[in-house]
Amino acid sequence: MTEKAEKYKLHRGLYDLLKGITQPGMMKMMADWLGAVFSAVDEGKPILFNQFTVFSELMVALDIVPLPPELWQSSQLNVDANACCESIDAAEEAGIHPELCSANKAIIGDIMLDKIPPPSMVVLPTFPCDNSKITYQAVAHLTGAPTYFLDCPYWMDEGEAMDYWVNQYKGLISFLEKHSEKKLDYDRLKEVAEESNRCLDYWLEGLELLKLKPLPLNGPFASGYLAGLTALGTPAATEAVKASLDELRSRVDKGETAVPEEKTRVIWFYYPVFWDAGLGDWMAQMGAVTASGLVGYFNVEPIDTSTPESTIRGLARRALDTPMGRQGRGASDLWIDDCLRAVEEWKGDCVILAGHPGCKWLMGCYGLFRDIARERGIPVLLWDVDLFDPRPCSGEESRARIEPFLNTIMAR
Amino acid sequence: MTALEELTKPADTLTNPHIERWKEKDGKVIGYYCTYVPEEIIHAAGMLPYRMRATGSTNSELGDLYASHLTCTFCRHSLDQAMRGEYKFLDGLVALFSCDHIRRMFDAWRYGKIDLPHSPFYLRCLSVPFKVDAPAVEWMAGELDRFRRSLEDHFQVTITNEALRQSIKTCNEKRRLLRSLYELRKKEAPPVTGAEALAIVIAGSSMPVEEFNQLLKQMLGELEGRDGFSDYRARLLLAGGELENPAYIRLIEELGGLVVTDFLCFGVRDFWDLVEEDSEPIAALAKRYIQRVSCPRMIDHPRRDKFVRDLVKEFKVDGVIIQRLKFCDNWGCEGTMTQWEAKKDGIPCMMLEREYLMSAVGQMRTRVQAFLETIRR
Repeated sequence: MTEKAEKYKLHRGLYDLLKGITQPGMMKMMADWLGAVFSAVDEGKPILFNQFTVFSELMVALDIVPLPPELWQSSQLNVDANACCESIDAAEEAGIHPELCSANKAIIGDIMLDKIPPPSMVVLPTFPCDNSKITYQAVAHLTGAPTYFLDCPYWMDEGEAMDYWVNQYKGLISFLEKHSEKKLDYDRLKEVAEESNRCLDYWLEGLELLKLKPLPLNGPFASGYLAGLTALGTPAATEAVKASLDELRSRVDKGETAVPEEKTRVIWFYYPVFWDAGLGDWMAQMGAVTASGLVGYFNVEPIDTSTPESTIRGLARRALDTPMGRQGRGASDLWIDDCLRAVEEWKGDCVILAGHPGCKWLMGCYGLFRDIARERGIPVLLWDVDLFDPRPCSGEESRARIEPFLNTIMAR
Repeated sequence: MTALEELTKPADTLTNPHIERWKEKDGKVIGYYCTYVPEEIIHAAGMLPYRMRATGSTNSELGDLYASHLTCTFCRHSLDQAMRGEYKFLDGLVALFSCDHIRRMFDAWRYGKIDLPHSPFYLRCLSVPFKVDAPAVEWMAGELDRFRRSLEDHFQVTITNEALRQSIKTCNEKRRLLRSLYELRKKEAPPVTGAEALAIVIAGSSMPVEEFNQLLKQMLGELEGRDGFSDYRARLLLAGGELENPAYIRLIEELGGLVVTDFLCFGVRDFWDLVEEDSEPIAALAKRYIQRVSCPRMIDHPRRDKFVRDLVKEFKVDGVIIQRLKFCDNWGCEGTMTQWEAKKDGIPCMMLEREYLMSAVGQMRTRVQAFLETIRR
């Protein structure tokens, strides 16, 4: 194995597993993204760290390779449940406090251990949390990479707050042009935004089909989110999301359902336990299907591409509504209202929340949400489990918490 | 009672005779959770700005109903105090997205989980930018104007530009006086301890500023005749976030470390920078509050790093202690970066994690003692 191939070998191994896939869908999308990252590494092309709430349209328009560090972390957990542990430990040994979000610790540790390709640029908004804002300041400190923060007002409105946000987005364009040494072609941006609109149409239709009872396919409609982070605005991403939708449509047409007998519908209004991919299937075996989750949740309008200004404004507006960005950028109301909407529209019988120890903003909503859920008769399970690190709570422990909860609901 | 004694008392209790006298005259008190809330605007409305503390809290069981187990203990205790009605002397509360903990605690106020003293109670969460550039200053000016108008509407008062200018002058005077106090701490034998200095800064946001300024002037005069502290083992800079308990510093100082300066929000971050007095007042306030020496909520690490290095030189600091409330992410990463830089510069630096209530004192003593040993001044 060459030195270059030895670096990032877990991800290269994942790429080797996936790269032969020709059928459009999530696996191919993942392979295409990893392939683009490794091409950039091998050819010395610039790589941009886009935090997990920053979608890819501007990068696509400027032909810059996106590398969402949180996706880098979660993707390797499909290969090895303990894949983040070494980097988490390295960050803690370097003094980073243990309560920092483990995804963020893993990013810092990855940089220290040279386990992630170094960024040429870094972009993130000031949401959803303290973890992210301060971690990426540390990333800038460690890598020296120029870093652009999209500064988001706490209360959003259609007037001054939106204008400020749109100007932040315009600042991002200038930043990307400067550091990529490329000029944004607005005709190209229009194409990308229109492609993004097409993709979003498929994504939103997928979400609609998951409102059917019984559920046609278990789990949130996640392919749109993967597209959003890696290739939204490309025909390949649109094709991949359409393929996921076609599968769903086909199941609906044939009357196929996620499980033979749907006993309860779960709203999992947070990220999944990334290292425990079998958890959803295990729940489904009990008859508990997951109809909606934060990963697939999106609630946006099409971008008006009639002028460069309207295109930028549309992209900026959409950037406020990415999963977790939308819910985490302001007061508790944003997450609570969306979660209640998910329960209502996706016909949830209960809410399950994986209590990720780094996520203070969301856990801080829980007490208020619990009161409202009680008033409305919505059962809620919250338990402590780290989404990137299996050591604090194992898969068996998670199941031991979930099983009696689901049994109680299904016995009603 | 000396002025020093009078100024170090308010830190011991949530309220104090100065506030009681103010309330007896039907004065309004507005609490605020963060030094990014401009006290000048509250002052110009004829009200008393009061920086929120949880002093006197002994447990957080009520607060824990709405704060999570991942919320810092300051917020849990403060929320608990609020739910128990300990802040009934307040007429309003102002907060901002200082951190995830504060914003969620404020949501509990918004959702009516607090036994409020008045209805309608004034509640406002300012939208303060995270960046420190010119557009952020401009946004902040708009936000401060909205804040001013909301105070006017709620309390049926008028906040004139002239009143704002006067308040800026009064608050600047407080800042100049506090800087004079800190100048004295640069001496080989500083006339005040770090614990006293913290208590004095706390008093500055716990009583009418005019009374504070008068007492502080008197105290600076008294200090001229006071023997300085010279029997210390090391001169320390204490950094970190929320710290409102002088006993914490006293413990460090009992072991031989003298805290000669700080990088605290009840400290230099609160008063170091002045507001321009000759500019349009809202614009001047916006500029000062966004571009002042920042806290880690702001995207401004390199400037903070330089500021701390400069403090180390100016105050002839032998070592840096970073105190951090458990679960504080901002200070977790910021403190670690400070440690990395201090190591490069050969400055001894230690991070101490703590809870809101003084606990694990024996362990803390051991760590501080060991740290002072490593300095070997």
